[in-house]
Amino acid sequence: MADTANVILTLPSRPENVLVVRQALTGLAEGLGLDPVDTNDLNTAVTEACNNVVLHAYPGPQPAGEEPGQDEPLEVEVTVLAQEIAVVVRDRGTGMRPSERLEEEEQHGMGLAVIAALTREVEFADVAGGGTEVRMRFARAKPGRPLEVETDAAGAANGADAALAQLPGSVQLQLAPGALARAVLPRTLCALAARAYFTVDRISDVQLIAAAIAENAPSSVDGTHLGVGVNVEPRALALRIGPLHSGRGESVLSAAVDGLAPVVKRLTDLKRITPLGDGESLELALVDRR
Amino acid sequence: MSSTAMKPVSSRKDSPDLFVRWQRHGDEAAREALLRQYTPLARGLARRYGRSSEPFEDLLQVAMLGLLKALDRYDAARGHAFASFAVPTILGEMRRYFRDSGWAVHVPRGAQERALKVRDAQERLANQQGRAPTVHQLAEYLEIDLEDVVDALQAIQAYETLSLDAPRPRADGEVVAYGDTVGEEDDRYELVELDATITAVLGHIAPRERAILRMRFVDDLTQTQIAERVGISQMQVSRLLRRSLEQLRAMTSAAAS
Repeated sequence: MADTANVILTLPSRPENVLVVRQALTGLAEGLGLDPVDTNDLNTAVTEACNNVVLHAYPGPQPAGEEPGQDEPLEVEVTVLAQEIAVVVRDRGTGMRPSERLEEEEQHGMGLAVIAALTREVEFADVAGGGTEVRMRFARAKPGRPLEVETDAAGAANGADAALAQLPGSVQLQLAPGALARAVLPRTLCALAARAYFTVDRISDVQLIAAAIAENAPSSVDGTHLGVGVNVEPRALALRIGPLHSGRGESVLSAAVDGLAPVVKRLTDLKRITPLGDGESLELALVDRR
Repeated sequence: MSSTAMKPVSSRKDSPDLFVRWQRHGDEAAREALLRQYTPLARGLARRYGRSSEPFEDLLQVAMLGLLKALDRYDAARGHAFASFAVPTILGEMRRYFRDSGWAVHVPRGAQERALKVRDAQERLANQQGRAPTVHQLAEYLEIDLEDVVDALQAIQAYETLSLDAPRPRADGEVVAYGDTVGEEDDRYELVELDATITAVLGHIAPRERAILRMRFVDDLTQTQIAERVGISQMQVSRLLRRSLEQLRAMTSAAAS
């Protein structure tokens, strides 16, 4: 399933990350020109499903003051079809049993009612190896073009899977076609920068950088998913993008205007291009020094 | 395909006799009691569904209307919990409202107002603390969600309606027309790091924007510092930068071909 999803987002299962999911979805919806009421339905239902994971999928809240880093994943996959948008929200929890969940607050149950009311179809399934997933299908008021994802002859190839193993980051985004970066990346990075306590000045820079990446790294080298790994620290973002065609990393760095104002080069604090598979990966670090 | 990740809506708080009293006997007191009991449901749905859109109070009215419809139409004999009947009814009312009010075509009023508030707060906080605020600071200052601020920042970037040429007060309080503040100083700048083509292209960029480009990329000033020098808001600097970069890109690619 993941191989044919257009957007795959994996991030630590924490309440503040639901905002990141919503921003990624909103960006995608804008890029697709989705009807705003559909966008609102999509955002509302997916938020409920994500909140369900964040609040209930993994046992016990993290004790206050404990180092994050062992966060369990929240996974979101979006597939764009002609008549529908399909979204899967998944956790890898050993899971609370349904009987335990029944003890949970009433609010929780309302989430299900909201999802059911806003989707064309919803189903719940166990995930092999532990965890549950919510599969939602949303009707599109205006049908659009489906977004195809290339797969190799084996039909199961996902270059970014391998690549992402080498593009570590607490937040991982995979996009296919890579051109979706134009829609998804600015809002996603902006949300992450906000979470990293960037000032609005620096967030504007992040928006420029996201646009430069989207313009100049439009596809992965193997034609499937373009991977973006992001580490979020207070006042610092570290990005890894790949697998890119050779030379693309440099075009991102010198982007915006050929020769002049290499926006990314000037606005980032660290840049490194390293070989990755048949292509390369680009690493950028952004710090907000105030 | 077996487990259910979420429990069904609880029916433990339902009061069948109240529904009978209202629906069969027109007992207004019973309706009042039901309305009170389920107002939190309507409020919760308005908040969940309507975030970043209409002013909340407007949307709550629509949700309450949906709740009233649900109270009339709910059939307790079917054995479903009231909430599981009411949620789609109330959501349906809000969706219809969005469609009818042209929400799908225009930027929602609530979002517009919020974007303006965020822009103003940004300037105020920047003046107070001498540097741009974080999204958290803005959210706290305006008592709105973090996400509302993030949305507002995106909206501010996107709005073409904000006038760039509107006079802005300078730090000393004097109001200056925007174009006046940059042009005169411009000639003193030396164009550096630019090849001949780019220099030629730059000649077509308005002097103020050229100056801002240079301050950002040659002098390495922050947007807030530029805003102070030029006497405009940081947001305007941001938009100008973006606009000039797009212009430059268009021109250089035209020059290249």
